[in-house]
Amino acid sequence: MSVVARSWGHLTPAGKVVVPLLGIVLALGLVAFLGIVTGILPAIGDTVVLTGRRNVGIVRFLVAATAALLASVPIAFINIYLEMKLLAWIALRRGPNRVGPFGTLQSVAHGFKVLAKEDFTPTGADRAVFTIAPVVTFLSVVLAFMVVPFAPGIVGVDMNIAVLFFFAIGGLTVVGLLAGGWASFNKYSLLGGLRSAAQIISYEIPLTLSVVGVVMLAGTMSLHGIVEAQAGHFWNWFVFQQPLGFLVFFLAGTAEGNRTPFDLTEADSEIVAGFATEYSGMRYGFFYFAEYVNLFILSAVTAILFFGGWSAPVEIHQLAAWLGVAVPSFAIDPSQLGIGLLFLLALGPALGTVLCAIPVALLRTDWSLRRALAVGFVLFNVVAGGLVIAWAYLASEVVAGLFWFLGKTFFFVFVFVWMRATLPRVRIDQLMGFAWKWLLPASLFNIFATAAAIVLVNR
Amino acid sequence: MSRIPGLGIARGMALTLRRLFQPKVTVQYPEERYPVSPRHRGRLQLLYDEFGALKCETCFQCAQACPIECIDMGGTDTKDRFHVHWGPPEQYAERRSESALRRSGRPVPDPAYTAFEPVDLAPLEAILAAEDYDPRRMPAILERTQAAYGHLPVATLKHISHSTGAWYAEIYGTASSCEHLRFEAPTTRAIGLCRCAACTLAGGGRLRAALEAAGGTELPGTTPDGALTLAAVDCHGASPGDPYVTVDGVPQRGLSPEKLAELATAIRAATARPGRA
Repeated sequence: MSVVARSWGHLTPAGKVVVPLLGIVLALGLVAFLGIVTGILPAIGDTVVLTGRRNVGIVRFLVAATAALLASVPIAFINIYLEMKLLAWIALRRGPNRVGPFGTLQSVAHGFKVLAKEDFTPTGADRAVFTIAPVVTFLSVVLAFMVVPFAPGIVGVDMNIAVLFFFAIGGLTVVGLLAGGWASFNKYSLLGGLRSAAQIISYEIPLTLSVVGVVMLAGTMSLHGIVEAQAGHFWNWFVFQQPLGFLVFFLAGTAEGNRTPFDLTEADSEIVAGFATEYSGMRYGFFYFAEYVNLFILSAVTAILFFGGWSAPVEIHQLAAWLGVAVPSFAIDPSQLGIGLLFLLALGPALGTVLCAIPVALLRTDWSLRRALAVGFVLFNVVAGGLVIAWAYLASEVVAGLFWFLGKTFFFVFVFVWMRATLPRVRIDQLMGFAWKWLLPASLFNIFATAAAIVLVNR
Repeated sequence: MSRIPGLGIARGMALTLRRLFQPKVTVQYPEERYPVSPRHRGRLQLLYDEFGALKCETCFQCAQACPIECIDMGGTDTKDRFHVHWGPPEQYAERRSESALRRSGRPVPDPAYTAFEPVDLAPLEAILAAEDYDPRRMPAILERTQAAYGHLPVATLKHISHSTGAWYAEIYGTASSCEHLRFEAPTTRAIGLCRCAACTLAGGGRLRAALEAAGGTELPGTTPDGALTLAAVDCHGASPGDPYVTVDGVPQRGLSPEKLAELATAIRAATARPGRA
């Protein structure tokens, strides 16, 4: 056994991740150092930057696509964790609490489990289609991610037809489900795929029609523009002008995202996961991965279309002006501090720790000084973290927007989970009847009522 | 109230929202454990000491204390001779009623108790005297009792228990595990027929067809009127050249199919019970 192998064996699991990363960082640093020293990097640097500037659209798209792919992983993990925890709490259980703090890494453990499982292709399956089906499902969801504006300026691609793009790409999901069911060489999978296709295509219609009212009011199909049309206080949100539209959108979105009470596609307690019967391992995982990302995107689009997206319920600057007080400006540029920044970084934590430790040491004289210092350190971190977050919120509208957007989105994720914990699954005929007999007429009525209202108001 | 659409959903959602904030009932097992109920008896097993020897000293106290006599103790003595503790004679009814009295504070009649028919015990006394009142000769006592009485009436079993000191439950167990001992007088007469290859070659098939036609049933079975049982018996090679037929356990010789059918019909006519068929 070589020295390397023995040292590798001594590493903790975290160390086995960190040490290769350190090696990569060191190698990159060496390459950069050599490049600068030899003058190669400065020579080609201008060309690289210039090429990037000329093709800024492509660069932006690549960055956005990578970011969407990377962001989908933690979002799915957070959604799975929330679902497990909330369902458990509603059932008076404790939920996951073993892996990681408060069980937060449970979904990661599930992900590793799915990765470690055998990826099995049944005999007679259409191998190519069987392999590509989960990818299609997942990609359609991640592509829809591209047009979701998280905060002012934080959007993958600010399309002027973002709403249309969202529904068009969201409709691709059904291709993946149907292909998965068809390629499995199993009549039950095929039936499951056909059933999910019937459900999703039926609900696509009221889902799309219910947004037409919002598009008419905002005058644009850009999600960015729709959010800006709802700027100001919370009574500008479209949910108050389009309550019927919101209701139809939310219900149809529940069916579109295969969520209870409309999760006929999966129906895990009754049929064997429908189209996914023959799937195993990470291909199976991709379907559920896509489902949980889709849950986030549906919640996000609900928040964007009807609940003002990233805008705060109350405009703090307008409110302050109305009250007659000025909101202090925190737009500090750290580079202006000069040498003070160095002192702040070097002495701030130490001074803060001591400052926080003094009252602790005075109040609890029975504690040792070390312990008081430790508590003071924790206290300082909490205070400093809170201050930094508050500063970021007030100074940057991106942070504030992200805060409100994610807050609203996860509220709707919570509502979806809450509904799943409460409502029983509907029958397939009830599901279809509800879409065609109730949601479709309601969304059509909503369009006519909105159009009539716009004509009356503008006249 | 219930006519308002969506009200039920709203109430259900409110219920689950309240559940979300209620205290959780999960017991985190390895860290938290519920106290074991004092009435919990756990699993019955014999314990071993650190040398691997059984801790049970065969004191029989557990068997004596068991109010429903479900513990039955046997053991070997130090010289490895089989030694069974035969408990005090017949405490079953007394102790159960005592137990009921202690628990409820009033005497409780036993609904399972059924009065048994008294029988003449003189033949049984003779048998017991011949067998020296020895509980270890229980199979012989029971067989001779059945021979004397035709079956084992409850009164004889009680008397055997009193006389030998064996528990009623044990006597009952011994008797019920022997197929040839019965607790009720045989009310149905039986014709047995061997179905082995030798008997079938010697004409057993024709006998069987005649018997089944006369009895109106398949061979292992009872006639519809309950008067006659057709049983499958085994000749054990004891009937060369002749199908082995028994009537009420007694082997018969030289029966033709017609004679056998006649016999079966006669038995059915004699012992037919009006309540059946």
